[in-house]
Amino acid sequence: MRRSVRAFVLVSVLATAAAACGESPAEDAAPAEGDAAPVDLSAFDGAVRIGAALSETGKFAVEGRDSRQGYDTWVRWVNEEYGGIRIGEGRYGAEIVYYDDESDADTAANLIQRLIDEDQVDFLLGPYSSGLTTGTSAIAEANNVIMVEGNGTSDTMFERGFQNLFLVATVASDYTKSAVEALAARGVRTAVIAHEDTTFPTSVAEGARRHLEANGIEVLAIEKYPKDIQDVSAIMTKFRNLGPDVFLGGGHYNDAVLFVNAADELGFEPDAMLITVGPSNPRLVEQLDDDVEGVLGPTQWEATMAYEGHWFGSAADYAAYYQRLWGEPPVYQAASATASALALHLAIEAAGSTDTDAVRQALRALRADTFYGPIAFDERGVNTAKPMGTIQVQDGEILVVAPDAAAVAALVYPRG
Amino acid sequence: MSYFAQALVNGIALGGMYTILVLGFSIIWGVMGVINLAHGEFVMVGAYLAWMASDFWDVDPFISAPVVFVVMLLFGYLVQRVLVNRIIDRSSLVSLLVMFGVSIILQSVMKIAFSADFRLANTDLDGAWRLSDQLTIPVTRFWILVVAVGVTAGLGLFLGHSRLGKSIRAAAQNREAARIVGVDVKKVYAVTFALCIGLTGVAGALISPLLAVQPFQGPPLTLKAFAITAMAGLGSVRGALGGAMVLGMVEAMLALYVDRIGTNLAVVASFVLLVAALVLRPQGIFKGLRHVDATST
Repeated sequence: MRRSVRAFVLVSVLATAAAACGESPAEDAAPAEGDAAPVDLSAFDGAVRIGAALSETGKFAVEGRDSRQGYDTWVRWVNEEYGGIRIGEGRYGAEIVYYDDESDADTAANLIQRLIDEDQVDFLLGPYSSGLTTGTSAIAEANNVIMVEGNGTSDTMFERGFQNLFLVATVASDYTKSAVEALAARGVRTAVIAHEDTTFPTSVAEGARRHLEANGIEVLAIEKYPKDIQDVSAIMTKFRNLGPDVFLGGGHYNDAVLFVNAADELGFEPDAMLITVGPSNPRLVEQLDDDVEGVLGPTQWEATMAYEGHWFGSAADYAAYYQRLWGEPPVYQAASATASALALHLAIEAAGSTDTDAVRQALRALRADTFYGPIAFDERGVNTAKPMGTIQVQDGEILVVAPDAAAVAALVYPRG
Repeated sequence: MSYFAQALVNGIALGGMYTILVLGFSIIWGVMGVINLAHGEFVMVGAYLAWMASDFWDVDPFISAPVVFVVMLLFGYLVQRVLVNRIIDRSSLVSLLVMFGVSIILQSVMKIAFSADFRLANTDLDGAWRLSDQLTIPVTRFWILVVAVGVTAGLGLFLGHSRLGKSIRAAAQNREAARIVGVDVKKVYAVTFALCIGLTGVAGALISPLLAVQPFQGPPLTLKAFAITAMAGLGSVRGALGGAMVLGMVEAMLALYVDRIGTNLAVVASFVLLVAALVLRPQGIFKGLRHVDATST
C-alpha cells in the first residue's frame, strides 16, 4: 500500500482514538476542576456536589462557555445571595465539578462516567447540544443519577422512557411554533426547509414541517446537509427557483453565516427567513449587520420577556445580575443553564434531601414561576409550561415578536 | 437553462475557493513528500490575521492578503527551519506526526489567544452581480477565483521557467540527484515551504469573510486538500486547479440536481473520486510531481 497514504490513515486513526478514549481529560481535567468561581463552602452545613461536562473546545465551545457561565451564575447566586440550598434545617453550599468534553460525544460520555464514579457527584447538569446530551443522559440513567438540562432539546431523547432526565427548555420540535403561527397569521402560503442532518436540527425541522402544515402552509422542499458544511449555494439556488414565502434553516451558528451570505450572493429574498440558531445571538448580528436585518429566530428566553419569579427576580433582574458577574448580557443558552440548576435546587429543597428518588419525585411535582418562565415537567421530563419565543432582528436590535404575550415589537413581514 | 448556468457558476466559484485552499498543500506534498496535516491550521491563522486587519483597522481582506502572505511566509520559513528541515530525511510518518502535533498546537494557541468565538471579516467585495433573476455571480467568490487563477498562473511560470523553480522541481523528482548536481536542497525546501505557507495564509485571508473564523475550522479543510491533491496529482499546479474545479463542479451539480440529500452526496463525492483515483491512477488525474506511493526521498 502507498506509504504516505498509509501514514495519513494511521494518524487519522490515532487522532480519532485520542479523542475517543478521552485521553486528554486525564491531563486537562484536573485544572478544569475547581476553576469555577472559587467557592468557600466552609460556612455551610455541607455541600451539594454537582457535575457537568461542557465544551470548552471544539464545535460547541461558544455555547459551552455560555452554558458554563449560566451554571456558575446559579452557583454564585445560591452561595452568595441566597445563602445556600435549604435541606431540612441545614444550609448547603453548591459546587459544580466541570470537565471539557471537547464537543465530542465519546469524551462527554467518559467524563460523565468519571463524574459519577470518581467525583461521586450527587446530581448532573447537562452538556451543550442534543448530540452530547443523548449519550451522557443514557449513562446518567444507567447509573440512576438525575440530570437536569436546558441545552439539549431533541425530542428523541424524551422518547426513551428515561426516569432521570429533565429539560427546562422547550423541546426542539416546538422551536418554530410561535414563529410559524405568527407568519401564518400574516398570510404566508409556502415554505422551504434546510437542516443539518444531526439530532437536534432534524427534530427542529420535523417539528417545523408539522407546524407549517398544521397552519396550512405548503412545504415546497426539504434539504438536508452534513455538519461542518462549507457551502450552501446549491441549496439556496434550488430554493430561489421555488420562490417560497419563508425560508427555514436549522443547524448551528456557522450555518447561519452561510445561509445569510448565500442568500445575499444568490439574490434569494424570501419574505421571511427563520434561522434556528444564530439570530438571537448578538455576536451574529454584530458580524453580519445589514444582511441579517429582518431575520427571525427562535429563542428560549430573552431578558425583555415578562417573566418573574421568587428567585433571581424578573428576567431583567437576572440579566442585570448576569451582566454584573460576566460583563456581558446573557444569551438564552446561559439562561437555560441557570434555570436547569435552579429547577434542581428547588426540587432538592422540596424533597428535603439529596436522595435521588425523593428529588425525582419533587422534580415531577415542581410547579414554579421563574425569571426563565414557568417550569412544570410532564411525564417525559419535558417542561411543557414554557412557550418558545421568536425574535426578529430589527434595526440591529434583537426584539421578541412572538408569542403575543412576550412580544415587545410587531413582526415585520415581509422583511423588506 | 439558467438553472444549469447557476450550477456552473456555483461550481466554478467553489472550484476557485478549493484551488486557493489546496495549492500550498499540494506543492509541499509534491516537492517535499510531507503531508502537511497542519494545513487547515495555517489557513486558520491566515484567516485570523485578515480578520484582525478587518476588525481592528478596517482593512479589507483582499487588501491585507499580501501582508498576510508575507507574515505567513516568514512564519512558514520559521517552521521549516526549526522543525521540518530536521526531520525531512526521516520516514514520512515522522513528518506526518510532527505536522499533526503542529496542528494541535496552533489550534490551542489560537483558542487561548482569541477564545473559540466565531469571527467574520468584512469585505466590500460582497453581494452579487445579477445577470437575471435566476442567474447571479457571487462577488467575493469571483474575486477569489481571480486570485486563484492568477496565483496558479504565476506559480506555473515560476516553477517552469525560473532557476529556483527548476531547482524545486529537480528536488521533487530526485533529492539525491539534485544534490549531486549542486542544488541546495535545504534551501529549496525552505523556500518551497515558506512560499506554500504564505499562499495558504492568503487562502485563509480570502475565505475569512465567507466561513466563520475559529480555532477549530482547520481539520475539514485539511481533509479536503488531501482528497483533491491525492486525486489530482501531487505538487501539480495545473492539477490543483483542475482537481479543485472538477470537485467543485461535481459537488455543485450533485447538490443542485439531487433532491433532499444532494449536499450530503457532494461531500461523499470527493472521497469517491479520491479512492477511484488512487486505485486507477496513482500518479493523479493530472500527473503530479511524484506518485502518491513515492517514498520521502
